[in-house]
Amino acid sequence: MVHFDHMEQIMHIAKQKKVLDIRWALLRATREFFWKQNFFEVETPQLLAFPGQDPYLTPMGVSVANEHGEQKKYYLHTSPEYSMKKMLAAGYSRIFSLGKCFRNNESFGGLHNPEFTMLEWYETESNMFTIMQRVEDFFDYVYEQLGEKYQLKKINIRRMHMNDLWQDVLGVSLEQYLDQTSLFHLCKERGYFVSADEQYENLFYHIFLHEIEPALEKMGAVIVHHYPAQMASLSQLSQTDTRYAERFELYIDGIELANAFTELTDEREQKKRLEKEQSYRKDQGQEVFGIDYEFLAAVKGMPPSAGIALGFDRLVQVLLNCKNINDVLVLPMKYM
Amino acid sequence: MGDTTDIKKGTVIRHQRDLYVVTDFHFVNPGKGCAFTKTKMKSITSGKGAEVTYKSGETIDVVRVDRQTVQYLYNDGNSFSFMNKESYETIEVDADIIGDDGKYLKEGLDVVGSFHEGKLVSIQLPKKVQYTVVTAPPAVKGDTASGNVTKEVVLDNGLEIQAPIFIKEGTDILVNTETGEYGGRVNE
Repeated sequence: MVHFDHMEQIMHIAKQKKVLDIRWALLRATREFFWKQNFFEVETPQLLAFPGQDPYLTPMGVSVANEHGEQKKYYLHTSPEYSMKKMLAAGYSRIFSLGKCFRNNESFGGLHNPEFTMLEWYETESNMFTIMQRVEDFFDYVYEQLGEKYQLKKINIRRMHMNDLWQDVLGVSLEQYLDQTSLFHLCKERGYFVSADEQYENLFYHIFLHEIEPALEKMGAVIVHHYPAQMASLSQLSQTDTRYAERFELYIDGIELANAFTELTDEREQKKRLEKEQSYRKDQGQEVFGIDYEFLAAVKGMPPSAGIALGFDRLVQVLLNCKNINDVLVLPMKYM
Repeated sequence: MGDTTDIKKGTVIRHQRDLYVVTDFHFVNPGKGCAFTKTKMKSITSGKGAEVTYKSGETIDVVRVDRQTVQYLYNDGNSFSFMNKESYETIEVDADIIGDDGKYLKEGLDVVGSFHEGKLVSIQLPKKVQYTVVTAPPAVKGDTASGNVTKEVVLDNGLEIQAPIFIKEGTDILVNTETGEYGGRVNE
């Protein structure tokens, strides 16, 4: 008769304890940073009737019954964005959320875990440049507080326009490829198997993922700003050059850590984009969700704002050089 | 035929008129753009490495393989030798096909081999493998109080892992080969 101790989960925690201790210190420093800047830490519901429409995210459905046993389907949020924008419309001006988000159809380990921690913040009367500054201040603060004690990597962020990044890495001027047709031909020239009806965003990512992201792995911390207008997502177009959107992403050693916008406040444009995403989901055979009209009202009602979503687990990963997200989690999904 | 969900270590893929075995892969979903799988592969004809990024849902020409249990014999640094359990024939495989899995192999261990046209192209380890602890530093009083609950032990095949502080030399333990984690003691 053979029987085993069951200790894999406990051993994982014990082995990672030093890393986890730093994680708790980082959680604390993050909260302190935002409280000092007069932000409220807020909590938003994790169960939503209308999850985000992003065509590349799969929300997890949950069946919830009331006391009469009547079932209704809800979804675990993929980010607190919709709820936080409703708060901005209701009068909040500086809010941050540090909590769990959920995404289906992603890997258990590596750079993903089905549930993960997101640091998301919004501020009114601001734009993406305000957010960039705050990101830089945040990294400085974390280093000041914990850098020496825990031997964290010092992060020095540089800012780069998307067009300059393409020029530097590929020697290609993105300016020439801001529409679907020209980018399709560029993809073909560079040897990608692409079809003429692929969305601009997909064509862009063929080149970006194969040729630019590998270069970013060697470039340290980079804020890549001004995405082509076609990839605006929930951001506003640049007022000085409408061919680009006021959107940036933060990459550290090639890992995408954060995505930020000068938020769109034109509800008609927002509705158009949601409908477009809805029909794209339908075409892809994905679950189609209703449009959250309260969210559209929030977009209309909120003051000029900017916001960012930053993967907290990945932040711990880059500061500690952990290649696998599982190393920074108490109990990765992989162990369950 | 298959798609990106079929990509696993050991999957054999027809790519640009050659056959490749997947040695490593990495799923990434940028969220705001299409998800993709970065795949490291090795040609089973020339041994040449390749890195391909597949978009999620993309059609992939997955080649069927035959699976058969083989027994690990030894390695000489460049190649690993296994025995076909039916014919007792010895099969050699390049070390880089085995990759990181090599550290879990020990003499006599049964693994599942994937064969393509008679050639062993990848192995699959059992999820848990039993080893005997050969070196374990003694637990020092007060270790647990100072936060040390694990220690490094050496196993009978040379593998080093973190084990609980109470593990002694001579103990039989299990190791999870997917995570490299200590998986418990074996009591006979």
